[in-house]
Amino acid sequence: MSIPFPTTRRSIIVALSSSDADVRERAFDTLVALYWKPLYKYARIAWRRSREDAEDLAQSFFARAFEKETLAAYDAKQAGFRTFLRLLFDRYASNEHKAEQRLKRGGGSVHLDFDAAEAELGRDEECRSETPEQFFQREWVRSVFALAVERLRAASEANDFALFEAYDLEDDRSISYRELAARFGIAETTVTNRLAATRRRFRAIVLETLREVTATDHEFRLEARALLGVDAS
Amino acid sequence: MRWISNDAIGRLRRVADAPDFSGTRYRVIGELARGGMGVVYEAEDTALGRHVALKVLASELTGGSERLADHGDRMRREAQIVARLEHPGIVPVHDVGVLPDGRLYYAMKLVRGTRLDAWAHERPRTEVLLAFVRVCEAVAFANANGVVHGDLKPDNVMVGEFGEVLVMDWGVARRADEDAGVIAGTRGFMAPEQERGEAVDARADVFALGAMLAALTDNRPRPLAAIATKATARERSDRYASARELAADVLRFVEQEPLVAYRENVVERTSRWLGKHRALVALILAYLVMRALVLFIKGF
Amino acid sequence: MNKVLLGLLVGAVLGVIDGATAWFTPAVRNDMLGIIIGSTVKGMLAGVLAGWFARRVHSVVAGVVFGLVVGLLFAFGVAAMGGGLYYFEIMLPGGVTGAIIGWATQRYGRAPQRSGIPATAL
Repeated sequence: MSIPFPTTRRSIIVALSSSDADVRERAFDTLVALYWKPLYKYARIAWRRSREDAEDLAQSFFARAFEKETLAAYDAKQAGFRTFLRLLFDRYASNEHKAEQRLKRGGGSVHLDFDAAEAELGRDEECRSETPEQFFQREWVRSVFALAVERLRAASEANDFALFEAYDLEDDRSISYRELAARFGIAETTVTNRLAATRRRFRAIVLETLREVTATDHEFRLEARALLGVDAS
Repeated sequence: MRWISNDAIGRLRRVADAPDFSGTRYRVIGELARGGMGVVYEAEDTALGRHVALKVLASELTGGSERLADHGDRMRREAQIVARLEHPGIVPVHDVGVLPDGRLYYAMKLVRGTRLDAWAHERPRTEVLLAFVRVCEAVAFANANGVVHGDLKPDNVMVGEFGEVLVMDWGVARRADEDAGVIAGTRGFMAPEQERGEAVDARADVFALGAMLAALTDNRPRPLAAIATKATARERSDRYASARELAADVLRFVEQEPLVAYRENVVERTSRWLGKHRALVALILAYLVMRALVLFIKGF
Repeated sequence: MNKVLLGLLVGAVLGVIDGATAWFTPAVRNDMLGIIIGSTVKGMLAGVLAGWFARRVHSVVAGVVFGLVVGLLFAFGVAAMGGGLYYFEIMLPGGVTGAIIGWATQRYGRAPQRSGIPATAL
């Protein structure tokens, strides 16, 4: 059997403990991009923290993780990285850190758009009926897809992405291939062909992203199940 | 970054999980069903210009798949065996292959009909039992040809427009003489020996059929319950030796004849006999009433 | 056993029994032998007809109705020959006996084969 998909990106989990500072930093950036929103929202919803408190926690958590390289302690044999990070965050939040210490550490190292995260929290009606783990997982799924969508945007022709956006991302489901064809001034078969190709690319990007944020094959598979919403049976 | 709504997550999940049929002769038209084992699509076979049902087994991603990939060749071989089973009650497998993304698929006849459990709902018991007997016959045919289905359940049986019964999902069947299967059946319908991963034979299918019989009928009278119990015995030597024997006992139940699975008492035997010969009993009673009537009139 | 032969036998047996019940009517006890012979012949004729009918029509209801009608007709004939004294006593049970024969010929006995293929291959 052939290897099912190419993996061009290395696992950032592995890269986090690289001896090369540049490699480490790039891995860290991806990590923050993927995890800051889920962690921030998790603090807001699961821990019921105030906005300032949650901003503070998220910012200082990443700053401290980067400085102290606490993430390098991750052991893939013990748990998935997502769970590891959440538990680390739990512990960090419950420790009685003084606010000023956090502020000092947090200052300036990561810039996060908390307003956007707050706006998202306002849009999501479902978030209060789940356990903290479920909530965190769902936000993680959202974050992985959001990251993959941005990567797709960067990797696609503007028109192709716009088609994908209109058909698969917009919540208005009434749009048909015919209407898309009219809107973009192309044939309906072109719409379906382009859409199929873009979706294929999206699928590849999702897998690649997932491969990147997991450490082992086993973890990759487990996270894929979580991401795709397939119940473990 | 763009806001991804919960609805959009659902759609993206499907996009990300959608099989890639580029380079195959199939063009997917839509999704028909989704289950633990994989997803079934309606597709057009562009080479032959006909519609087929395409079952794509759970992806490399979504688990169980490492083993699937390892056993791809073997599964293909098994699909070939199943493809040779020609029986009106067996949905034929047309084709089997591997998608560019490593997932195994097989194409089978597109069946338009109703799932057996939905069909059986609120239908007279006798009609359901006769359909069940036809399922048994199809399975018995496969078993006799050395193929064990291994995942029989009401979901895998369709009832067509004309009441014809079609047993589906033979793509995961295996040769009876082979070792433990690659793919587990469905809990509740799986024989204990199959659950333990041991080699299975036709009696594993008998077990599943027994579980199916129980699932399809409620308020079972004791003889019918006894049939299901015998078919689902923990020890396979206690079960019916074949689906054909199971079918024969169910038919005997329908025809109100004595069963293999059930020893009845005198009262049950009598009431069964009276029930079976209702017309005769009524006629004899009518005769006696006439005679009594004649004597009675004469008496005055 | 084919259906005509079966009808003949069932008709004969039921005819004997039916005729024997005349014993309960003291007025005719002296003619028992004649009554039983007549009743048996009547039953056999009804049986042959019902058996012939069952070969053609496969329906329990139709068979029972056919048997009933034939039984009534023969019983009417017998009653008329007997001087018309016992229409009720003869026709009522005679009709039901015919119906039972009709039922038996539908339910049992081998139907004729419609083609050259042996039944076991079907």
